[in-house]
Amino acid sequence: MNNTIIKLEHVSKEYHRGTETVHAVNDVSLSINKGEFVAILGHSGSGKTTLLNIIGCLDHPTSGDVEVNGIKISSSPEKELTILRKKTIGFVFQQFFLIPTLTVLQNVQLPALFASKADEGKAKELLTMVGLEKRLSHLPGQLSGGEMQRVAIARSLINDPPVLLADEPTGNLDSRNADNIMNLLSELNDKGITIVIVTHNHDLVKNCSRHVFMEDGKLKHES
Amino acid sequence: MNYATVAMSNLRRNPVRSVLTGLSLAISAATLTVVLSLDKGYTSAVTEDLVNKTGVHLYITKEGCPIEAASVIAQGGLSPLYVSEDIVSKINYVQHLEAVMPFKLFAVTTNDGSRTDIFMGVTEAVKAVKPDWTYASGGWFTSDTSVILGAEMARIENLSVGDKMYTEHFNREFVVSGILERSYSQDDGTFFLPLLTAQKLVGREGKLSAVAIKLKDISMLDEIRNQLRASIPADYFVIGSKELSEGILAFFSSTRVIMFVMVVVAILISVFGIINTMLMAVLERKKEFAYLKCVGAGKKDLLKLISLETLAICLSGSALGVVAGAFLSPLSGNMMRKLFIAYTPSGSIARPDLLIVIFAFTVCTLIGMACSLYPGLRAANIVPMEVLRNE
Repeated sequence: MNNTIIKLEHVSKEYHRGTETVHAVNDVSLSINKGEFVAILGHSGSGKTTLLNIIGCLDHPTSGDVEVNGIKISSSPEKELTILRKKTIGFVFQQFFLIPTLTVLQNVQLPALFASKADEGKAKELLTMVGLEKRLSHLPGQLSGGEMQRVAIARSLINDPPVLLADEPTGNLDSRNADNIMNLLSELNDKGITIVIVTHNHDLVKNCSRHVFMEDGKLKHES
Repeated sequence: MNYATVAMSNLRRNPVRSVLTGLSLAISAATLTVVLSLDKGYTSAVTEDLVNKTGVHLYITKEGCPIEAASVIAQGGLSPLYVSEDIVSKINYVQHLEAVMPFKLFAVTTNDGSRTDIFMGVTEAVKAVKPDWTYASGGWFTSDTSVILGAEMARIENLSVGDKMYTEHFNREFVVSGILERSYSQDDGTFFLPLLTAQKLVGREGKLSAVAIKLKDISMLDEIRNQLRASIPADYFVIGSKELSEGILAFFSSTRVIMFVMVVVAILISVFGIINTMLMAVLERKKEFAYLKCVGAGKKDLLKLISLETLAICLSGSALGVVAGAFLSPLSGNMMRKLFIAYTPSGSIARPDLLIVIFAFTVCTLIGMACSLYPGLRAANIVPMEVLRNE
């Protein structure tokens, strides 16, 4: 049985900055199995975020093939990618992107609204899981950074995605909150969710099952 | 939670801007309601005055009418064209006429320009022609210096039967012989004089403004018009009171055009206001929209959100506007009565009704909604990667 949930084959991504061509991702091949907790590490500008965005169907590769949950995204129309993002992938960003005028509970429900299955019970369940059951009616502005990121994680899980992509999820947090978030991600991974995290902080990702190092757009090595 | 919850929460993000945008649409809706009320009201009032309340079915005027007749009434001037008094004897041969009323009509503006008084020289036939000719006090002229006052003129001048009334313009004194009951027609604001006295005042003895005719049977209008036509010289007109009111309304058409231009300007300002507001709201929230796309929001979802935000503004703005417009219409009617229109009919010249309110509300809401299309499309077409990369 094929256990691969994410598969990249000779993926490259080029940008044009004026007359200069930037090779953000250069001939990367990578397979990630279901249930893995993968950390993509590298310095700023190494191409790790671009790679994550390609996996997350937010960006198209210039060349190469990308397959997520059995769907070839390089040849899929935008409508299909929207459905894939809705049902298969959960996103967590460094900036929490919470809607400031919606309550914590409403923010978590938002992706479910787009999937036409807004479920308050499920949202409450997720917020309880991330330890924010007493903050349901608070506005994001009334939360700490760590709490906001926990809301963002709960939100990313509302549509039961098998894959969670996290781009520097602890970048705006102090070390204690960062550890809490990483523990939370580990717990989610234990429940079977495939997690791909991008960070430049090696200390945070000790618990990851796999470490992929990038430099100048290329996979340098794995451990 | 639903889309409306999200849309309403976004409006609360910048409440002052949302309220101001709603107010700009409210001004448009109010302007449209007022203008439509005035348009309908003025047309109805003129028709009521000249067609329904006068009791006159036909007028005989000199060539140039009905515009000329309308000009006399509207401008307060003295028409160079006149109907010879001899014509009355010719008309009297025509059958099925209930009353024939020769009259001399002229208007005099006070020296300070603050008021225009309408004088009408009449014969006793006026009692048969005008359906509301009843006296509140006093009675018919007792001498050639008698005057009968319309109810409003008696109130303004504070005159009673037997009082003397001095007219500065003619340097003449009249004695009030009667005061009419209020009829809510042009008569309320008119000074009635004996026909000969009126003719002498303006140096037009033997000359009439027109002859008003009341028929016994209105269904014979066309037949009698033809008979009259055949019995008077070719340079006279036989016109229906409806045609005369249309002549008056022709004077109103330029004012009407200006009013509708004002509406268009008000709506255009609102349109740009709404587009600007919604566009700002979209540009400010580019990151958010990009993120919403990341979590599966499609183009339709974002269009729906922006449309709902605009709809909330449009519904509240239009509702506020039409209600305000309906209440402001009488005030605007009074202003127009004083400032804009030379001929002012007696009834209310601003008549808002449910149909006008619904029409103005619908038009403003639809126009407002159309304004959300461009900002909505901008939001829907945001490429998340481009926004996030710039972060």
